[in-house]
Amino acid sequence: MGLDWLNEKWVFGLAVILYSLSALYSIFLHRQGFRQDNRLNYWLIFCAFIPHTAAMAWRGVLAGRCPINNIYEMTVFVMWAMVATYLIFGAAPRFRYLGAYTSPLMLTMGIFALMPKLDAEPELTQGWVSLHATLILLSYGAFGLGSVSSLMYLTQEHDLKFHKLRAALARLPSIERLELVSVRMTHSGFTLLSLGLLSGIFWLKNDYGVYFSSDPKVLWTWLVWALYMGLIILRLKWKLHGRRFAWGVVGSFLFVLLTFWGFNLLSSIHHQ
Amino acid sequence: MAVIVIGLNHRTSPVELRERFAFAESRLTGAMEAIRNSGIASEVVILSTCNRVEIYIESDLPSQQAFDGLVDFLREEKNYDGPIGSEIYRLAEPASLTHLFQVASGLDSMVLGETEILGQIKQAYQVAFKGKFTGRCLNKSFQKAFNVAKQIRTETQIQRGSVSVGSVAVELAEKIFTTLKDRDVMIIGAGDTGEKTARSLLSRGARGILVSNRSFDRAEQLAAELGGEAVRFDDWENEFQRVDIVISSTSAPHYVLTRRQIEPILKRRCGRSLLLIDIAVPRDIEPEVNFLEDVYLYNVDDLQAIASDYLDRRKAELERCESIIEDKVQALVEGLRPLEEKGEGKSSKLRFKPEGP
Repeated sequence: MGLDWLNEKWVFGLAVILYSLSALYSIFLHRQGFRQDNRLNYWLIFCAFIPHTAAMAWRGVLAGRCPINNIYEMTVFVMWAMVATYLIFGAAPRFRYLGAYTSPLMLTMGIFALMPKLDAEPELTQGWVSLHATLILLSYGAFGLGSVSSLMYLTQEHDLKFHKLRAALARLPSIERLELVSVRMTHSGFTLLSLGLLSGIFWLKNDYGVYFSSDPKVLWTWLVWALYMGLIILRLKWKLHGRRFAWGVVGSFLFVLLTFWGFNLLSSIHHQ
Repeated sequence: MAVIVIGLNHRTSPVELRERFAFAESRLTGAMEAIRNSGIASEVVILSTCNRVEIYIESDLPSQQAFDGLVDFLREEKNYDGPIGSEIYRLAEPASLTHLFQVASGLDSMVLGETEILGQIKQAYQVAFKGKFTGRCLNKSFQKAFNVAKQIRTETQIQRGSVSVGSVAVELAEKIFTTLKDRDVMIIGAGDTGEKTARSLLSRGARGILVSNRSFDRAEQLAAELGGEAVRFDDWENEFQRVDIVISSTSAPHYVLTRRQIEPILKRRCGRSLLLIDIAVPRDIEPEVNFLEDVYLYNVDDLQAIASDYLDRRKAELERCESIIEDKVQALVEGLRPLEEKGEGKSSKLRFKPEGP
C-alpha cells in the first residue's frame, strides 16, 4: 500500500462525508414523516455518488484492473452498486424516500471501509476471477437494497397497523409495492449470486483442477446462497409474505453484512 | 376609480337569504347589463354559487355611493324589502382585491383550501368577459387572482391532504394497495357515509362493489346506483374472500364482524391485505381483528383524526397564504393605478380579515 492510494481514499472519504450529511438529513425527514416530495436528499446522495465513482474509477485506472480485490475495494463496490440502483429507482418521486434508508447504511459501510488495514495489498486478478467477484458483489448490492425496501415496508406496515398519522400522510409507495421491490431485489440478487458461484466453479477448475473447495469463504458464500434459496422457497411454497418475509430479507442481509469480512479474512484461496 | 365588491356568503348569511339573492345562470348577463346601464359601474362580474353571491365592479363613484347603488340594485332585482345589515359585506379597494384573491384560493370557502370555487370564479369571469362586461381593471384583477390561486396551490400545503372521512379512506387504501384497479369493495349497511366512501373508492378506480344490507331492497337499490352487486345479508361471509376493502356502517348494536369469523377466511386469502373501515357507531367490527396478520382496521375516530390533522395543517398554512396575497394585492394596486395618488389606499395596511362573525 503506497502513498499513491492516499489521494483517492480522500475522495472516497468526501463521498462518505456527503453520505453522512444525507443520513443526518434523513433523520430529519423521518421525523417530518416524509410528507412532501423531497429532492434535496436525492441530490445529496447523487453528489456523494460522484466522488464515490471517481474514487473507484481512479483506483481501477491506477491499478489497471477491476477494483474489487480487498475488503475496502469490495465494500466500496457493493455500496456503489446500491447507490446506483437507488438513483435509478429514486428518479420516481414515490421511491425517492428509499434514500432516507439507504444513506445511513452507506454511512455505516463507508466508515467500515475506511477502517485501517482493510485496504490490504491486492492480488492481481483478471478474467474469470473479476467476473466471479463482480457478480457476487452485485448480488450483495441487490440484497442490500432489498433489505432497505423491506425496512421501509416494516416501518410503513407498522404505522398503518397502529394508525399512526404518519402512515396516511407520508409520501411513500404502498406496502404492496415495497414488498414487490424486496421480492424482485432478492430474486435478482439470488440470480447474480448463483451466476457468481458458477463462475467461481470455473475458476477453481481452471486454477486448481477441482470443482469445489472447502475454503471458509466458499463455504460461507454457499451458506448465503442456501439462506436466500430458503427464503425464496418459503415465499413461493409456504406463502411467507408481508412482515415475516421483510424480516427474513433484513435478517439475511444483516447476516451477510456481519460475517462477510470475517470469512473473507479466513479464506486462503482468496488471499494467497 | 376602484374595484368594489358587495356580497354575502355562508359565513355572513343563512341559506334562506343566499338562495333569495342567487342568480340563475340565464339571468347573469341581464343583471350585469342592468348594473352597467344604471351607471354604478363601468365593469362588472357576478359570482353566484351555493355558498356565495358576489358582485365585483369597477366604479368611478365614491365607494359609499357605489355600495348603496349595488344594494338597491339587489333589492330591486330580487324583489327583497326585508332588513339587510351585516349579512352583506361591502369592501372597497384594496380589501376588495384581497377578498377576491382569498375566494379564488379557497381561503374563504367552507372547506378551507377547496378548489371547486376557482373553477366557479373562472366560469363567472368567462361569462362576463364574453358579454364584454369587463375591462382593463377587472380583467387584470381576475387574471391576477387566478395566478395567485395557482401560486398558493403549488407553494403552500393549503390544498394538500384529505379532509373528509371518505377521502381519508381512499388515501389509506392507496397506502396499502399499489392500485385499486383490481380491487373489490364491499359495503355492509347502506348508510350515507358508507356510500360516499364507496364512491370515492370507485372514482379512484376500484373494480367492483358489493352491497350487503339488512333490507335487501335497499341493498339492491344502492348496488344499482353504484353499478355494483347486491348480496344477501346472511350471505356476505361467502363473498368476503374476494374483497379487499370492506366499509361497514350498519346500525347493529353489536359486532357484525368478529375475529372468529374473519380468521378462517384470511387463511384462504393467501396473504392478500384486507382493509376494514368501520364507520359505524356503535362499532361493527371487533377491535381485536386488527391483531390479525394482513388486516388493517380503521374506525371512525382513526379516520377523523387523520382528517383533522390535515385540516390543522391547512390552517397552519393560512399565514403563508395571507402574506402571498398581501404582496400580490399591493403589486396589483400599484399596477392598476400607476398615475393616481391614492394616499389612503397605499398607506392603509392590507390585512386579511375574515368577514362576518
